[in-house]
Amino acid sequence: MTSSRSAWIFAWALLAPAILYVLVIVAWPLVETFRLSFTDASLRKVTNYVGTANYEKIFNETFFGVILRTFTWTFFSVALKMIIGTFGAVLLNAAVPGRYLFRILTMPPWIVPMAIGIFMWGWMYNGQFGMISGLLQRFGLTDGPVAFLAYGETAYWATIVTDVWIGVPMVTIYFLAAIQSIPKDLYEAAWADGASRWTRFRRITLPLMLPAMITMSMLSLIATFNSFDIIWILTQGGPSGSTTTMIIDTYHTAIGSKKYGEGAARAVVICIFLSLFCLAYFRVTRRLQTIGGKE
Amino acid sequence: MSNLLRNSLISVVLATTTALPALAEDISWIYCGDKMDPVHEKYIKEWEAANDGWSVKPEVVGWGQCQDKATTLAAAGSPAAMAYVGSRTLKEFALNDLIVEVPMTDEEKAAYYPHIVDTVTFDGTQWGVPVAFSTKALYWNKGLFKEAGLDPEKPPVTWAEEIEFARVIKEKTGKAGYGLPAKTFDNTVHQFLHWVYTNNGQVIDAGGKITLDSPDVLAALTAYKDITPYSVEGATAYEQNEIRAIFLDGQVGMIQASVGAAFLLADTKVDWGVTDLPLGPSARGKGTLLITDSLAVFKGSGVEDKTIEFAKFITSPKVQEEYEAGGAAGLTPLRPSPAVDAMLAAAPYWKPFVDGIEFGGPEPLFTDYKGFQNVMIEMVQSVVTGTAEPQAALTKAAAALEEYK
Repeated sequence: MTSSRSAWIFAWALLAPAILYVLVIVAWPLVETFRLSFTDASLRKVTNYVGTANYEKIFNETFFGVILRTFTWTFFSVALKMIIGTFGAVLLNAAVPGRYLFRILTMPPWIVPMAIGIFMWGWMYNGQFGMISGLLQRFGLTDGPVAFLAYGETAYWATIVTDVWIGVPMVTIYFLAAIQSIPKDLYEAAWADGASRWTRFRRITLPLMLPAMITMSMLSLIATFNSFDIIWILTQGGPSGSTTTMIIDTYHTAIGSKKYGEGAARAVVICIFLSLFCLAYFRVTRRLQTIGGKE
Repeated sequence: MSNLLRNSLISVVLATTTALPALAEDISWIYCGDKMDPVHEKYIKEWEAANDGWSVKPEVVGWGQCQDKATTLAAAGSPAAMAYVGSRTLKEFALNDLIVEVPMTDEEKAAYYPHIVDTVTFDGTQWGVPVAFSTKALYWNKGLFKEAGLDPEKPPVTWAEEIEFARVIKEKTGKAGYGLPAKTFDNTVHQFLHWVYTNNGQVIDAGGKITLDSPDVLAALTAYKDITPYSVEGATAYEQNEIRAIFLDGQVGMIQASVGAAFLLADTKVDWGVTDLPLGPSARGKGTLLITDSLAVFKGSGVEDKTIEFAKFITSPKVQEEYEAGGAAGLTPLRPSPAVDAMLAAAPYWKPFVDGIEFGGPEPLFTDYKGFQNVMIEMVQSVVTGTAEPQAALTKAAAALEEYK
């Protein structure tokens, strides 16, 4: 009994730092944000509870538009990362001379500090001095300068392209690892049966990569949904709100307009969506483990 | 044991009684920028020498985070004693009981150029000490004027001429006639307000009534619509300094900018001139937006009175003149003086920046300045991109501003 009690105390002593960390760094801010979302907290020194007023206020046509834009922005960005990452991984896996060099060359977008990469893209999108506009004019594809961040539609896609550029290396390397874990004898057997390169990719590589693709999609979905830096540095949510996603909208409200209560309500909505994604992620990974016979 | 307790108590008493006054004699100052101006460094030392036991502790914070840092600290109940803030935020701070009044004597008020004291005045009293002042004028590229067949020595005087000259430059040279910044950025509002104030317009009156939806402001927004086709392509991608960079590169005919552009132009091959902002049909005289930054003294630091004393010292005429003439090149002088007269005589390009003050107007004071700013940016962008007509955009914006006044 004494021995089991001391083991119990020892176990809790070991767990205590982690529990304290979770309570202070994760739980407390979440609870505080949730509490704040029911108040009219602002710069004023007095804060009152206002019930669900903040939630009633934010759920209007504009906010639904922001939610829809966030989902489409996330969808296109994740989808492009998955497609480019898949083909990138297949190419990097090919037995060609210098493939290690190519693998290294895929990394810079991920290694370069994110803000620097984003500023670089900002300059490339510049209509007057930017490389893209310059090339388009040089090849006679446009009559004059094209400022990609000036119009809603081009700014929307420009921010997606930048997000994809930053996200693709990680996806590619992850998928490359997945491809390399596929047993070689499967390919040898298919080759002996006369399967073409495309058939081997479709029948062997893709199905066996699927668990990695699903896992990476879910992780990428969570990260992309929360993506702030890229849009903030390139457009600050403009022009005319065309790149305002939920996280940008929350920042504008809470930090820009100092409506902390209303901003917290927006943050809670984001939190709910992210929790649903996390839940889906855990269910999917659990299911994949079951299929893989690990349970 | 009792000795230990006694010694501990003595230590605590000693520590608190000796440490607290030392803390109380620090004046913390959130200083916006990349580094301390040497003039301020010099006069901080002078003030500290004259005020035994007092120490000024500046914390240099980049422009992007400066305002938010001061605000967040104040809102969290641990304010800096003093912060460098845009005067436009003073009303918001005052209404939320975050800053203390910094009343000026009549003599102090009279020393400033007209309207400057208005930029820090709310509810009949002053809430900050002006420390930096910016006005704008019109720069034109004489080379592009000549290339377009315009007289390079005759800049536009009216909006109608400005729009016409921009059109001619665009059509004859293929380059942008005008640089119109309309990015999602604060100076998009500033630039539009130059047009409002050169047409006797107003956003909000002294009584707090929104006056945006008026013929004078409508004329300004319509002029924006009219000049857009001849402006830098993709106005909503550029803010003021990015437009200035295009002008420095010789790729645009006219821009509105501060005197800082004149210093930068000295290092280019652009043949340029600078003149008063062109006037709208209802103008009473030369105008410009008057932007000031101020030193705000925060409530709750425990050293408010001494901080006010220091704020007035560091912005006193002698220090300010040296600051404006030296490290702070690019700022319009806050007060007329013989030194300013000498500067105007030595560098005539200063003249339009001072002449516009007479009929200039301040940044409007709103209880939620960011809310006001977002509404104005949306209004300008909707007209510039052609998604709304000026009258419709104006009416919508005027209604939206009611929430933030």
